[in-house]
Amino acid sequence: MTTTAAGTDTLAERLAEVWADLEEQLAQVPILRRLDEGTVTLDDYLRLLFNLRQQVVDGSLWISRAASNFDVAHFELRAAAIRHAEEEHRDFLMLERDYVAVGGSLDQLRAGRKNIGSEALSGYMFHYADLPNPVGLLGAMFIIEGLGAQRAAGWAARFQEVLGLADSQVHFMRYHEQADSAHTGDLEAILDSGIIDAAAADDIVRCAQVVARLYALQLEELDR
Amino acid sequence: MTATAYLTGFGSYLPGEPVGNEGIAARLGGDDPVTQRIRRRVLEANGIRQRHYALDEHGEPTELNEQLAVKALQAALGDRGIGASDIRMLACATTMGDVLVPGFASMVHGRLGGGPKQLLSVAGVCASSLSALDAAVSKVRLGDHPRAAVVASELASRSLRQRRYDGIRSGMDAHFLRWMLSDGAGAVVVEFQPHPDRPSLRVDWVRQVSLAHEHDVCMRAGMSGPEPVVGRTWQDVDIAEAEAAGMFLLRQDVSMLDDLAGAGIRQFEELVDIGLIDVGHLDHVVCHYSTNAFRDVAFEALRRRIPTLDTDRWFSNLETRGNTGSASIFIALEEAWRTGRFAVGDTVLLAVPESGRFSFAFAHLTVVAPPGRATASQIKE
Repeated sequence: MTTTAAGTDTLAERLAEVWADLEEQLAQVPILRRLDEGTVTLDDYLRLLFNLRQQVVDGSLWISRAASNFDVAHFELRAAAIRHAEEEHRDFLMLERDYVAVGGSLDQLRAGRKNIGSEALSGYMFHYADLPNPVGLLGAMFIIEGLGAQRAAGWAARFQEVLGLADSQVHFMRYHEQADSAHTGDLEAILDSGIIDAAAADDIVRCAQVVARLYALQLEELDR
Repeated sequence: MTATAYLTGFGSYLPGEPVGNEGIAARLGGDDPVTQRIRRRVLEANGIRQRHYALDEHGEPTELNEQLAVKALQAALGDRGIGASDIRMLACATTMGDVLVPGFASMVHGRLGGGPKQLLSVAGVCASSLSALDAAVSKVRLGDHPRAAVVASELASRSLRQRRYDGIRSGMDAHFLRWMLSDGAGAVVVEFQPHPDRPSLRVDWVRQVSLAHEHDVCMRAGMSGPEPVVGRTWQDVDIAEAEAAGMFLLRQDVSMLDDLAGAGIRQFEELVDIGLIDVGHLDHVVCHYSTNAFRDVAFEALRRRIPTLDTDRWFSNLETRGNTGSASIFIALEEAWRTGRFAVGDTVLLAVPESGRFSFAFAHLTVVAPPGRATASQIKE
């Protein structure tokens, strides 16, 4: 693993620190606290899906945009981004089916707009994806795929436990445990491949910090 | 993991004013001395004092079966405080719809409205009600639909009128049903969440079993004997010939009814034996039966297993609402629920024997408190 100019910590250690900060922020998010306490309501689950959907629907778009900005010197990253965009671009449909399965209206869901946090997150991702060779986005991937792999299934299980939901009502969150675990495996392989230099590592950590904060903001700003 | 299904809304619709025993002949005819004598005998046996007909005082139809179903559905949706557009599945049971084609549920949905829905038309006789419930409950448990509605509806009276019987040989097999059946509809709303601010009935399980493999037809229409014959059903022969052969009379082989009662009790015993019914924790029984004679048979059989079962825990409204076939169980459940017979924590068994060709359906329900409030059983703990 690369050692950076900023200190003696490896990239993995620096990302682990960003992750720990994110965990602390998530513990303060009201809807996640209610989920933890078991006081979460069906309306909370609907709101969470509604708010996530407005940003998730953009996921494949910024990944493909990033793919188009990797030059031939970053061929492996471009290949990975193209694969990833293909895998993600039907995800929001799964979320939409869950929303309908718990009584939500597809028309209203699709007519929804992003909350303040989602606007910031999505805006930042598109901005970053427009840069030439946006290697720093691996930091965004670390956060978003990490949430999917490490937290989403736990959230799904807790929603199921508290609200008595069927598996087919939490597809989106459950699916991400497997899919994003595979993606984080891919990510680790890239980070270990030796193509990340010190400057790129700094970019990755910085992007991870911003995305972690904006993701938490998205969860804090439900419906606003 | 599956979701849990709850009954959160209850409705029934009984057309017109209640008709006492003295008002039957005006609607159904049959005022010759022989028929009057048979009627009196049948009414004494079945114990029904009042029923409803979708017929005016001259015996002319006032409504369609699909209208009865829609009114019961609207009552159930109103009871729950939601609209038809909140329902994603509609399961409809009836013995005979108004028309041969299309299915009953299509006609009910067309009249009810409320956006796209999954439909199920369950054909059968009395137990089709719980088969429809089973399907809706299963889909809700799977998480495929957040809300469904189930309705069972019957409009038998129009085929019980004198014009059907004129010149046709009809014995006790036809008269028994003629003076027993009447019209009505009952409906429930099924959801994956309990009612937000009042108790609901959690559906613990639904079981339906047919013993047609070892029993002949008991209740029939559309053929001239107990066995269908190739080329000889009502669809094969001329309509006039079918009518002359009495194929359009609803008939029941009353000599088989003791066997039916015995088989139903054995099914109940089996549910006790496999542990689905815990006789130590069964608080209410809502049972469909066609006549009071079977009430006593069933009640005594249950009391052998549940010595504490007294008449307070046994509910039927056969005597005042009549025998409305598949609709009966929901009409009885609605009245039991509305009149406050059940308390949070109580368990309820619905039991529906069907004579058609020996089918039996049961459902086990538990009264649960609204979310966020402790249930009686939790308090006990």
